[in-house]
Amino acid sequence: MNEIIDQYFDLSLMAERFGEVFDGFLITIELSIVAGVLALIWGLALALLRQLPGRGFLPVRFATIAYIDVFRGIPLLLIILLISGSLPYLEFLPESVRIPNWLGQPDPFWYGVMAITITYGAYMAEVYRAGIEAVPGGQMEAARSLGMSHGQAMRNVIVPQAVRKVIAPLLNDFIALMKDTTLVSVIALNEVALVGRDIQAETFRSSALTLGAILFLVVTLPLARLVDRLINREQRRFTRGAPRVEAL
Amino acid sequence: MATPASERADGDAEPAGPLLSLAGIHKRFGQLEVLRGIDLEVKRGEVVCVIGPSGSGKSTLLRCINLLEPPEEGGISLAGRDIFGGPDGGAGESGGDVDFLRQRVGLVFQQFNLFPHRSALENVAMAPEKVLGHSREEARRGAAELLDRVGLGDKLGEYPERLSGGQQQRVAIARALAMGPQLMLFDEVTSALDPELVKEVLDVIRELVAEGMTMIVVTHEIGFARDVGDRVVFLDEGLIVEQGPPAQVLDDPREERTKRFLGLVLER
Repeated sequence: MNEIIDQYFDLSLMAERFGEVFDGFLITIELSIVAGVLALIWGLALALLRQLPGRGFLPVRFATIAYIDVFRGIPLLLIILLISGSLPYLEFLPESVRIPNWLGQPDPFWYGVMAITITYGAYMAEVYRAGIEAVPGGQMEAARSLGMSHGQAMRNVIVPQAVRKVIAPLLNDFIALMKDTTLVSVIALNEVALVGRDIQAETFRSSALTLGAILFLVVTLPLARLVDRLINREQRRFTRGAPRVEAL
Repeated sequence: MATPASERADGDAEPAGPLLSLAGIHKRFGQLEVLRGIDLEVKRGEVVCVIGPSGSGKSTLLRCINLLEPPEEGGISLAGRDIFGGPDGGAGESGGDVDFLRQRVGLVFQQFNLFPHRSALENVAMAPEKVLGHSREEARRGAAELLDRVGLGDKLGEYPERLSGGQQQRVAIARALAMGPQLMLFDEVTSALDPELVKEVLDVIRELVAEGMTMIVVTHEIGFARDVGDRVVFLDEGLIVEQGPPAQVLDDPREERTKRFLGLVLER
């Protein structure tokens, strides 16, 4: 029993290395937020491209669907390795793109951002699509009958309603994205998993990784509760008239 | 009630000919031929009521006029301008002709289709602001005026879910009027309403009739058609079976099918 505690829950080790682990976790958070915001935007762009009407946009729709299918089907780890291992050697690109150091973050950070945005953009595009398709067809017809273009109708009528419907699943995807940022440790980004591994290799104890896991839970558990509440609220809206059961 | 068409400075007034003319409109959904050659002319200021059994193509006809469902064959012209000439010579999904038409033809749906994430005022003000380029203040002022005229001056900030069906439908009418249409299309606008809410919506339409608005009204309210219609068109199986003044079509129909339909409807 003591062995278990020493291995996973060595409080003195946790206290001693807390600063390092926490710094790593801050990088995790930064990576999650930057990549999360970009994936939200890129996913919406993909979903809108996929909804473009008419025969003329058939190639665009086709290309978008192909993109989404491909990047949902490839492991994120492979994308990270592909980007980090190739981008620096593509001589035709400017150096600031090959070895990006924007906003004072090192290049593995940005390779991670790219890989996560590419992959999670595809996931989130599917979530947005579900939201857009859940908006009744009469909404688009009403907007078009008032003379709005497809784009105006999307912007003013469809997307605002669709986003409201999918906030909860998007947040779910964000939680998954946050956890997946640990994969970027394989290209030497000093985020929480890599910091924990280094300490593990040094001390033969895993408590720093446990500490990292606990830090994750501090963020992800409230987010998961928030998702539940959003889902409950959405469901209540559709069961009007039924007695109200307050969540939590 | 709406901005009179003549005030619009776009120079498409052409008082001589019919406002709307349809020639040989055909519409299919797969194997089903819903419209099988509709010819119809509507003069300025005329109120045309379309009646017919369900599945006769009444709603599809309105949706074709608005090009929400582009017809496969036939021609549509509005205010002397040819809008649609069949699939080949026809207007595209976003062609200038489609914009021309939709900005001049208002459509009110059976299910209201209000924008649930916007207040009554914003529902009405949206299209003038986004499509006609009015300033936000101007659009909102116009919207408030229109809502006032349909009796909802005290509901400007309410969201659709807090309004009764009759109120929602009146907002929808105001929303269509906000574009200053020359022609209004009403698609069974009272069919989804509780009986006690029908009158308030029909009264709004009556007021529009009194102001000389040109309109095509698809309705099951035979009494209303008799009251306000200049002409009643009886549609069955995608064809116009009979048309004429309400007194003639409704009280003294020539066609057997019209008689049978009216017999069934008026029995209730």
